[in-house]
Amino acid sequence: MKSAPFTYVRPASVEEALHVLDEQAGAARILAGGQSLVPMLQMRLMQLDALVDINRLPGLDEVRAAGAETIFGPLVRYATIERLPLVAERLPLLQCVMRFVGDPQIRNRGTIGGSLAQADPTGEVPLSCLALDATIVAASVSGTREILIDDFLVSSYTTALEPGEMITEIRFPLAPHHFAFLERNRKHNDFAVVNVAVVGRRGSDGGWSDLRIALGGVSDRVVLAVESAALLEGTTLEEDAIAQAAQLALDVIDPPTDVRGTAEYRRHLVPVYVRRALSKLRDDHEPFDA
Amino acid sequence: MPERVEVTISVNGRKHRRQVEPRMHLADFLRHELGLTGTHIGCEQGVCGNCTVLVDGQAVKSCLMFAAQADGQRVTTVESLAEEELHPLQQAFKDAHALQCGYCTPGFLMAAAAIAAEGRRPSREELREELSGVICRCTGYENILIAVERYLEDRGEVEAVGG
Repeated sequence: MKSAPFTYVRPASVEEALHVLDEQAGAARILAGGQSLVPMLQMRLMQLDALVDINRLPGLDEVRAAGAETIFGPLVRYATIERLPLVAERLPLLQCVMRFVGDPQIRNRGTIGGSLAQADPTGEVPLSCLALDATIVAASVSGTREILIDDFLVSSYTTALEPGEMITEIRFPLAPHHFAFLERNRKHNDFAVVNVAVVGRRGSDGGWSDLRIALGGVSDRVVLAVESAALLEGTTLEEDAIAQAAQLALDVIDPPTDVRGTAEYRRHLVPVYVRRALSKLRDDHEPFDA
Repeated sequence: MPERVEVTISVNGRKHRRQVEPRMHLADFLRHELGLTGTHIGCEQGVCGNCTVLVDGQAVKSCLMFAAQADGQRVTTVESLAEEELHPLQQAFKDAHALQCGYCTPGFLMAAAAIAAEGRRPSREELREELSGVICRCTGYENILIAVERYLEDRGEVEAVGG
């Protein structure tokens, strides 16, 4: 199980990295944490002419607050996200899901940018970035552009990134304080059969707003249950409303049958997990959002 | 002739300079270039954790990192533990019957060494999670947890692991 030969490039700047990507015209990939890319290379699911190792580039592994926004460099590792007080305070959902990503060794290496570029349809990082309405900043030799997460995630392991582009930032808007996350696995640390992330804002009157419900493992990418969330806007998340919203989530899924479960099983799980996640959100004892 | 890159990697406190193919992963570098066969390879796809080593003090799976990436970094392998006698961590494994075939043991030892080096004392449940990146097919894990717990408790003045 060895990778096919490739050229190893360790650029001195983002600009240099972008030039290599441009010259290689699709035959090169960025090497960040490598925890998905390296196994894919070694299993020969992918062959590349060049790997562009960005691990030494300064400044790409920082998380900073910019007003209401929280901005991540692409190289921020899962272990950092797990432990950083700034993330716990501003994006508690993102911090919570890290425990479900790989295992401690994987989390010491894997990065937020790498996970987004990988776009695993069961991935906890894409799932929570979708729930939290992140924006991806992508750079190429011809400039930078911002891509909404919902446009960024195209299909299984496929993103809107062009071959010459790399992720330079992940930006999160102010997140609602309340969240819930649930995941069904066959075994500890395995890829999810189904996972659900919900966020929302609870007003002082107990009414909920800004709800977002993201579902993983149920389609060729992680998806938002937009209609389900709309149905619950302004409610107090009473049981009947939750049950109805949970049922409605079936409209946005197109689950696969694979080694981890059948489509039928996933269809069964989705309303159950959406209902449980919303109940958990409601019964959370955090104070209301300002 | 395939393309090669020069790397200088400090392993267990000793610097090694080699010309390697970019596709050579760190586990193969340790085993084939340096003859340090204590680092075991189970799955070569980042699942079994048997190849766990420390890179700049952090536990990583050495099959998921190319040797070229470790250029200039400090790598600590299982060979750093025992000198004339078993390291107390290894002795704890022996005493608790925390190994049977022993194939996964280097991975567990290094995952545990990382926890010890950080000075942490996780609870049983936390430890279970901390060690979840290494797979053992013999012991059922209980004795491994007991061994690591005992070592972390008894460590006292024992020097922390690290190259």
